[in-house]
Amino acid sequence: MKVLWPIAYITLKEGIRNRAIYGISLFAFLLLGLNMLIANLAPRDVGKVAVDIALSTISFSGLLIVLFVAINLMAKDLDKKTIHMVLSKPISRSEYIWGKFFGIALILVLTVIFISIFAALSLYILKAGYESFFLRFSWPLVFLAIFFIVMSLILLSALSLLFASFSSTSFITLVLTILTYLVGRSLSDIKALIETASIAGATVSPITAKVVEVAYYIFPNFAFFDIKMNAAHGLSVPIATVFWTVLYCLIYGTLALTAASLVFRRKEFP
Amino acid sequence: MTAILTSGISKTFKGDLHARPVKALEGLDFEITQGEVFGFLGPNGAGKSTAIKILLNLIYPDSGSAYILGSDVNDKNIRKHVGYLPENPYFYDYLTAEELLWFAGSVSGMEKNKIRASSDELLAKVNIEQARTRQIRTYSKGMVQRVGLAMALIHDPQVIILDEPMSGLDPIGRKMVGDLILELKSKGKTVFFSSHILTDIERFCDRAGIIVNGKLRLAGHLDKLLENNATLEEVFLREVERAGSGGDA
Amino acid sequence: MIRALTYALLAFLAITHIAVVGKLSQHENVFPMNEDQDELFVLPSAILKIASFDYKGIVSDYLFIKGIVYIGGSVQKGSSQKFNINESQWCAFYNMMQISTDLDPYFQDPYYIANAFLTWDAGMTREANSLLEKGSRYRNWDWSLPFFSGFNYFFFLNENDKASEWLMEASRRPGASPTIASLASKIAFKASKTENSISFLEEMIKQTEDESMKKMFAGRVEAYKAILDLEKAVDAYQRKFGKKPSTLERLLKNKIILEVPKEPYGGKFYIDSGGNVRTTSENQLMPFQK
Repeated sequence: MKVLWPIAYITLKEGIRNRAIYGISLFAFLLLGLNMLIANLAPRDVGKVAVDIALSTISFSGLLIVLFVAINLMAKDLDKKTIHMVLSKPISRSEYIWGKFFGIALILVLTVIFISIFAALSLYILKAGYESFFLRFSWPLVFLAIFFIVMSLILLSALSLLFASFSSTSFITLVLTILTYLVGRSLSDIKALIETASIAGATVSPITAKVVEVAYYIFPNFAFFDIKMNAAHGLSVPIATVFWTVLYCLIYGTLALTAASLVFRRKEFP
Repeated sequence: MTAILTSGISKTFKGDLHARPVKALEGLDFEITQGEVFGFLGPNGAGKSTAIKILLNLIYPDSGSAYILGSDVNDKNIRKHVGYLPENPYFYDYLTAEELLWFAGSVSGMEKNKIRASSDELLAKVNIEQARTRQIRTYSKGMVQRVGLAMALIHDPQVIILDEPMSGLDPIGRKMVGDLILELKSKGKTVFFSSHILTDIERFCDRAGIIVNGKLRLAGHLDKLLENNATLEEVFLREVERAGSGGDA
Repeated sequence: MIRALTYALLAFLAITHIAVVGKLSQHENVFPMNEDQDELFVLPSAILKIASFDYKGIVSDYLFIKGIVYIGGSVQKGSSQKFNINESQWCAFYNMMQISTDLDPYFQDPYYIANAFLTWDAGMTREANSLLEKGSRYRNWDWSLPFFSGFNYFFFLNENDKASEWLMEASRRPGASPTIASLASKIAFKASKTENSISFLEEMIKQTEDESMKKMFAGRVEAYKAILDLEKAVDAYQRKFGKKPSTLERLLKNKIILEVPKEPYGGKFYIDSGGNVRTTSENQLMPFQK
């Protein structure tokens, strides 16, 4: 267990020094600067638009970090054989997976905090300038939304580790992770669409409905972690919801990482 | 206690779409006693790296078993006492030599102060002291090799396994590695290294094994192998030819 | 020597490049742009919801802005002229606002803007109300959406019961002015439409921030006040003479009014065959309804 920290720490260092982080952060700052210009295009709901842009920037930047930094960290080990350096030490395959995971999670948390500081700044400035249009603005909700975003990114990373544990190339891992994100995010909307379609009279094949229902339980439901609308309009989130969401993240993440450890145990590195 | 013991190790790599399955190792049996320097000699593709990786639990044998210092190689804890330098080592580009050594030491259970002290000593010994805070991506190939050596030795292991340790080194580097091997031997450590360079085997090894096409054809004390005034080269080439013609040692 | 030539070549290529780009941009608009067919193409909101993934909020914002830019080209600020926008364009605009609020039903701007344009300019009050009512369901802290809906029912659709119902809903919400509840009951009791119109419009003036809209309402208030005065004069005439006057001149002649009030839209007040006070500028006072 004690080896988790050294693995996490060097993963963190290697990831943070990656050029991609700088690029992504710069991109985020640009968007947040633009926030100041775009938000006041809204005649009244400046607060809502400002929060939309700020949170979407954080969410998208985080996604880019998972796809291009996190996956890259795993891929580097496997493609470039740095894994030999690590696994030849007294480290088990599981410890490797979990250590890598914590390192990646740390990268995500630190980078999101960094970007969030600037997001908060842009919101603060806009709020000061457009006080009357920020009546329903709530800092706690904004931070809660950011926390939820971080959870969803960490969950996605855990899944990408699972994919990396059995994929032969980093490209496959990347594609699988993107697909999982796309499906996972849209599942709840697709499910809603199917349910309302039958009300509207349109026919939905029962096979489709069943597939969607099954998928709903298997795939990660990233919609659970999207409370941007709540933050944008000051709609509070019940504590119970927060509790269940955190639990979902913990359970699903642990499932993914445990599966990854199992798969990884069988992997060989010639 | 034997340092390294293998018994009937076989490994076949399944082919993919293009290639047929490759029999990398067949019935590998050998034993290395503590304090020995043992050389693994063979042509490219003979199975040396495969055997070494099986010892490091990076590859799993299809059959047979391997032990280091009495423990099965799949026990991760035994690697606290093993130092390994892969052929063509790769390290994380953005880390510094210092950070890599810290990692290697921490993960083997060393105390922070001990790591610091050992790092200083080793970095000086392998001559990359001045580059210790630079990122690995700025290193030359020779420097990377030397960091690898440092990482293999930082935790003062009993058994040191080196896969083609001289590859890519200039004469100064080769001298350094050679001196290191002899120093380790004088400390009573066990050194197991593979090479296809005959002179290295001759110079440092007590015992050697010749492996061709996945089979260990000859193993034993160097003077025994070279009886009848044969040179190592002659012995080696003879075994290669024998293996090629399908004969068994 | 080679270096100089290379630089010369670069300079030459740069100049030619600029010239070529200039030429090409002229050719870009070669395909005839049919003004009438500026369709706002959007996907159905169910598909858009799925396709927006994590970004429904900003897609909603984007669609809203796209919608107002779409009609913005034909907007003449503060003018009471009809916009140069045809029916299908208004429908496209309405559709855009619906989709924007499907993605984020709490977003207030689409409701406000849609209501402003669809009632006064497009004559699509029912559509405006369907948006306002959707917004009222979600923005349950916001009294203004049900208030506007109530106004629409009263002013444009002449459905007093619905008007009253929505005004009452508005009055129950936080921050609603107390006059709203009394307005609701006045309308329920079917008091004079002109008087109610004045009360309602004065409330609208208080609630609107947009200066041009305030002016527009104020103009209407002025007209209705004048009409109210004339209606009172007509009643006084009827009490005196037992029947309604046939023309406004009769009111003047009989000294019931001292002068005919000025009609703020440049038209003329008159009395119709049913004895009601009307104005020739009715189209501006009371916009057409579909």
